[in-house]
Amino acid sequence: MQTQLAAQDTLAAVAAVDLVKVYGSGDTAVRALDGVTVGFTRAQFTAIMGPSGSGKSTLMHCLAGLDTATSGQALLGGTDLTRQSDRVLTKVRRERIGFVFQSFNLLPQLTAEQNILLPLELAGRKVDRHLFAHLTESLGITGRLSHRPSELSGGQQQRVAVARALASRPEVVFADEPTGNLDSRSGAEVLLFLRNSVRELGQTVVMVTHDPSAAAYADRVVLLADGRVAGEVQSPSLASVTEALQALAVNR
Amino acid sequence: MNAVLRTQLRGVSRRPARLLLTGLAVLVVSFVVYATVLAQTITERSVLNGLSGTPEAVDLVINNGTVTTAELAAIGKIPGVAETAGRLDAGGQIGSEYLNVSADSGAGPLSVIKLTSGRQAVSPGEITITARTAERLGLKVGSATKATFQYDDQGKPIKPATLTVVGTVEGPEDYGFQAYAPQSSVSALIADPGLQRIDLRLGSGADSDGVRNQIESIVAAGAAKVKDGQKPAVATGASVRLAEAGEKADQVDSLFEVIAIFVAIAVIAAGLVAASTFRIVFAQRMRQLALLRAVGAGRGRVSLSLAIEGALTGLATGTVGVLLALGAGHLVPALARAFGPKIESPGFPLMPALGTIVLAVVITMVAVVAPAFTAGRVSPLEALRGAGTTGSRTDIGKLRWAAGLLLAAVAVLLAAYVAKNLPGRDPKDYDATRNMLAVVASGGFAFLALIALGPALVRPVLAVLGMPIRRSGPVGRLAAGGVGGAPRRAAAVSVVVALGVTLIAGTLVGGASIRLLADRETASSAPADYELTAHGDPLITAAAVDQLKARPELANVTPYRRLDVKVSGTNVEGLNANDLNIGALPELKKLDVVAGSLADIGPGKVVISGFTADLTGLRVGDQATLSNGKKVSKLTVVAKLPDSAPLGSAFVLDPADLTALGAAPGYAGLLADATKSGEQGRTDGRRALTDANTAAGGQWGIDVLADQRDEIDKELTVLLGIALGLIGLTVLIAVVGVGTTTALSVVERVRESGLLRAVGLSRGGLRIMLTTESALYGVIGAALGLVLGVPYAWLLVKALGVNAPLSLPVAQLAAVFLILVLLTAAAGVLPARRAARVSPVAALGTE
Repeated sequence: MQTQLAAQDTLAAVAAVDLVKVYGSGDTAVRALDGVTVGFTRAQFTAIMGPSGSGKSTLMHCLAGLDTATSGQALLGGTDLTRQSDRVLTKVRRERIGFVFQSFNLLPQLTAEQNILLPLELAGRKVDRHLFAHLTESLGITGRLSHRPSELSGGQQQRVAVARALASRPEVVFADEPTGNLDSRSGAEVLLFLRNSVRELGQTVVMVTHDPSAAAYADRVVLLADGRVAGEVQSPSLASVTEALQALAVNR
Repeated sequence: MNAVLRTQLRGVSRRPARLLLTGLAVLVVSFVVYATVLAQTITERSVLNGLSGTPEAVDLVINNGTVTTAELAAIGKIPGVAETAGRLDAGGQIGSEYLNVSADSGAGPLSVIKLTSGRQAVSPGEITITARTAERLGLKVGSATKATFQYDDQGKPIKPATLTVVGTVEGPEDYGFQAYAPQSSVSALIADPGLQRIDLRLGSGADSDGVRNQIESIVAAGAAKVKDGQKPAVATGASVRLAEAGEKADQVDSLFEVIAIFVAIAVIAAGLVAASTFRIVFAQRMRQLALLRAVGAGRGRVSLSLAIEGALTGLATGTVGVLLALGAGHLVPALARAFGPKIESPGFPLMPALGTIVLAVVITMVAVVAPAFTAGRVSPLEALRGAGTTGSRTDIGKLRWAAGLLLAAVAVLLAAYVAKNLPGRDPKDYDATRNMLAVVASGGFAFLALIALGPALVRPVLAVLGMPIRRSGPVGRLAAGGVGGAPRRAAAVSVVVALGVTLIAGTLVGGASIRLLADRETASSAPADYELTAHGDPLITAAAVDQLKARPELANVTPYRRLDVKVSGTNVEGLNANDLNIGALPELKKLDVVAGSLADIGPGKVVISGFTADLTGLRVGDQATLSNGKKVSKLTVVAKLPDSAPLGSAFVLDPADLTALGAAPGYAGLLADATKSGEQGRTDGRRALTDANTAAGGQWGIDVLADQRDEIDKELTVLLGIALGLIGLTVLIAVVGVGTTTALSVVERVRESGLLRAVGLSRGGLRIMLTTESALYGVIGAALGLVLGVPYAWLLVKALGVNAPLSLPVAQLAAVFLILVLLTAAAGVLPARRAARVSPVAALGTE
């Protein structure tokens, strides 16, 4: 029944259906994902939360075509990513997905601008100059475009990484602990920008975090524990997220 | 063992393959060094056991003195002597070809030859010949030929003998002019009882000392009978064999001395590669080293433990290299023996093996010092920094700039000194040694400057040469960025590639120039494919020339006349003049002049040879007065050749002038080229000349000058091939260096690879990017190598003082460039494949 629900949910940009991921084999096998079914609504900012080892990063990797699931489906706009070849996945990542990482992951030998435009170039697509100007301006990095990553502060590097993720108008942006390496002010700026991109550009954003205050910027929080969905919070606030997390810890 | 070293070694023992990778260049060079030692041992042993001039059965040898057939007969009668063999060689001529006839009975243990076809020579006038002799002289079993072995007082050949070939044999030496006959026949050919030596075999149980004493008295008496006779020495066969073997071993040794120079260059290249790899490996461990420093390890301890690790790497790779070489050294002769050639196994030379391992340890120790020192200086704070901020330095320090510029300045000054002291077009009494040493020294300094300034050169070179690659798309730009992002690393490997390319380019350019020089010299001695010569009368008629001109197989048929003339004002007589039309033969266009121009020749003009200029003091522009009896011509000297004029003459002048001096209308000779190139064209042309010669009675001689030209060309090609093969060792090390660097830099940049895959670079794209990076090391190195190699080769050729023209073998150099780039690209293929296999998640998760 759940399967039907997810498939019928036309609003979902990304969805996991009964997704299972097992690492290792035999006695040492670890079920990182143990039948996760969840949909992420289009033009919504969703945060995935859960304690360490709950499988939130694995879920994101499977949904983003970085990792292959053991069974189940990882649907991106109707495409099942678990059944695709590396070539197709590469194309999907390049054309339909944007990434923001905890440790920025900018290429040191490229300038900020070259870093932002890299996915577009790899895809051989034309640069949308309007979008590029809008992104860099609202992220406040216009004056930093010719600098190399080593000449930028952490906050600036992460804003460049955000611009890179959005520049190709991806169907979904996945952000993996985007504020983990930032001070609270820089972190707030990045989160605010992500929320604005959802509101203004209709972008779909899925963010993995363990920071309740970061999750409070989202429209919805999905809670994960032991590789399963353990609940969710709509229109979260710092208080409601913290409460849900504490409830989760007690129930375990 | 201190804690720091223990930590390092634990890291090494976890990944022993990494240790071998770090020292791969050292491993290869240890292999090469020990393999060279084994090759020398194999060669020496094989030569010693090969066919020696003295058969095993020989017990006593009488040589180095006067000994004749009379003593041979007397010695043969001594009781206890089972067999004797008198040895001598007779040098003779078949036409213009040389033939050496050696005495050999053809049977019994004292014979050194083995019959391959026909039968052994027995009767006087019968000979057997070696395979190459049969081929070269066109002799077959059963054919007879006339040969002269005796000469009169004026050196004119007399009493030709008729030799009949009765068989072909294999002998200890085969230079292509070797025949064998029984001793009595050979002595008869030269009509002289003298022998070069006597070999003898003793019967079983013979009293060796007794026989020896009797021989001593016989030969002493024999030598006393002859005027200026010298008593020969009596030695045992064993000692003579040993001496002969030693002589051959000396030849082998001097050959291997030359090889050793090239191996030494490869060793230096390996040291450079090793230093670079250690730097990379230590840079990768920077965080870990910083952590050790943060928890209290001293700078010195960190440096020391890294240096010890380097030495261990040398020990391990050196040992593996030696063992691999030992395996190959025993496998190759065994395999060769299975297919026929008798090649000895090298055994296990222990001292050289230990020496090689010590060498490997020393190379790595020297290579590891600077990187270990730098790594030891790491700040403990480095451990606390986030990943990705520890970028490698892209610039070089002030001191290094200064040192590099100083070295470059010394190189330039030395080169300028040579350029200033270059000999002119007419090098006389020029001592090339000093200038050549200066060129080599300048090249050495230039290379050191390159090592010092390399990192600063990488970016500009990359900016120019990387343009097409950067333009090719994002993958190309990433590759160029990857190389440019670590210029020190790029410089370190590129410099080694440059060393190899410099040597290759130098050899090719030098070789091409020397080849041009050789062409020029053969142009004068062999100006056409064929020469038809009238040996004295009768001269070649104009009708015969016209007939030959009509033959389609021949081109550029050019007859000439000769006349001996005297130069007035000097007492030099009998200088040969000819009236060859220099413009008619394409080969003569290569002729070089010291002064004047060959184009100016015409009536009233004369071209003189360098020797003539020396003898007569004539210079270009002078009036030369030539006379033949009462006939006199005044001619203007228009050109001076470096040494001899075409056809070995002193003067070349216009036909009208030669007629005026009294030359007969018939031609002394004729030059012609084959119309078609290749073996068939040459044979056809020769047949045309033979036909004409036969029609005219067959008194003229035909020389195929093209064969001489080809021979010189072939020798040069072989020499260049050997030199390039030995330089190949250095190139091999360079390619290994590029492969190691790419492999290590892939390990280091696994996060970067993961990110690129995450943002949509395909697996193939990543492979192409990394392979391109490693090809770019080749591009930079090859470009630097060509820039250094070509001018230095030119300077060296000029400094030789042989007035060789400068040549730029563009196609060959382009091929070298391409091959080097392909090789370095190939070196990156494996690491690139490995990098592309790693999943993006795993890559991004790596710290």
